[in-house]
Amino acid sequence: MAYSNKVIDHYENPRNVGSFAKDDPTVATGMVGAPACGDVMKLQIKVNEQGIIEDAKFKTYGCGSAIASSSLVTEWVKGKSLDEASQIKNTDIAQELALPPVKIHCSILAEDAIKAAIADYKQRHGDN
Amino acid sequence: MLDTMRALEREGFEVTYLDVEADGLVDLAKLQAAMRPDTTVVSIMMVNNEIGVIQDVAAIGELCRANGTIFHVDAAQAAGKVEIDLQALKIDLMSFSAHKIYGPKGIGALYVRRKPRIRLEAQTHGGGHERGMRSGTLPTHQIVGMGEAFRLAKLEMVEENQRFALLRQRLWDGIKDIEQVFLNGDATRRVPGITNISFNYVEGESLIMALKDIAVSSGSACTSASLEPSYVLRALGLSDELAHSSIRFSIGRFTTEEQIDHTIKIVHQAIGKLREMSPLWDMYKDGVDLNTVAWVAH
Repeated sequence: MAYSNKVIDHYENPRNVGSFAKDDPTVATGMVGAPACGDVMKLQIKVNEQGIIEDAKFKTYGCGSAIASSSLVTEWVKGKSLDEASQIKNTDIAQELALPPVKIHCSILAEDAIKAAIADYKQRHGDN
Repeated sequence: MLDTMRALEREGFEVTYLDVEADGLVDLAKLQAAMRPDTTVVSIMMVNNEIGVIQDVAAIGELCRANGTIFHVDAAQAAGKVEIDLQALKIDLMSFSAHKIYGPKGIGALYVRRKPRIRLEAQTHGGGHERGMRSGTLPTHQIVGMGEAFRLAKLEMVEENQRFALLRQRLWDGIKDIEQVFLNGDATRRVPGITNISFNYVEGESLIMALKDIAVSSGSACTSASLEPSYVLRALGLSDELAHSSIRFSIGRFTTEEQIDHTIKIVHQAIGKLREMSPLWDMYKDGVDLNTVAWVAH
């Protein structure tokens, strides 16, 4: 399997691995994928009062491309509003990481993870 | 072999695919029950390439002969690793592969029994080579390479098996105490060269990336173009998740103790790093039963 340098970089030096405190009210979580598929991504976003994502963390069970996709996403969402973050497209992720066709689904899952985290935040805080 | 069977099905043959037991072995009673009076051929892989278990081809040969069924054995991973006495075994056809035993690629062999006689229909026609069984000028250099490889394998087999067993034990001893690690396939009826291990909550391909200076392979879907996990591991009854989390370690003629020790070290490092990154490991540590979670698969 030929990995792009960026995928290798994210795998060797993943950004923002971890979890926020369980009871933090400013944190929302999106968990997508399934063990049966070999891909599970947990993305957490910490949103401030202005509705801006000030921090993000991830944990992923999956191949190098899945890890890289979710790691990249935690970098990209920081500093964005929820609306801006929901605009992130899997094609951008795939392009940035130079994912081969057989790994595109990893970028789709990462996009789904963002949307799931945002949906979780909105559900907890009322749609604002 | 499966692909060939599917091709035969397209030609109109009926094929029965027999499941193995959880230890990877064929259940002889189930095989006998599945065999019919009109069963033409039974085909068995003597040593499985993914998990290394050895099927009881002696017993299966008896069943086939009693039923008047031709018995074909794929011995690609068995030759040079396991004793094969074709005088004693009731095997009609046996396939060999040169490159699996340090010979050149591009050549194999098919043993065809004479007593009782097996008649083959040629698939390749022309000059009548190989007594009409397979036409085409013989690649002398390949044949010599294969012959020499097999000759050496026969000389080295006993010593190699002992050496591999020690190396394999060293590898397993260095890994088995990691939490949630499982050996796949029967523990005793196996070749020492192939060891298939599942590391729960860590996906196979991500583990291979960490073992980058070692040639291992995984049953994970991520390493296959089809995105399906290994059918061999699933046939053992492994959950899809454990099948995705498996690695095959192969020990061979040139494997050293240093390589084993190095492998153990980086496996520990990689598992540590990947479990820290794994949401499934977190959930396991928190006591969550993953089977009860409602996953949002896409």
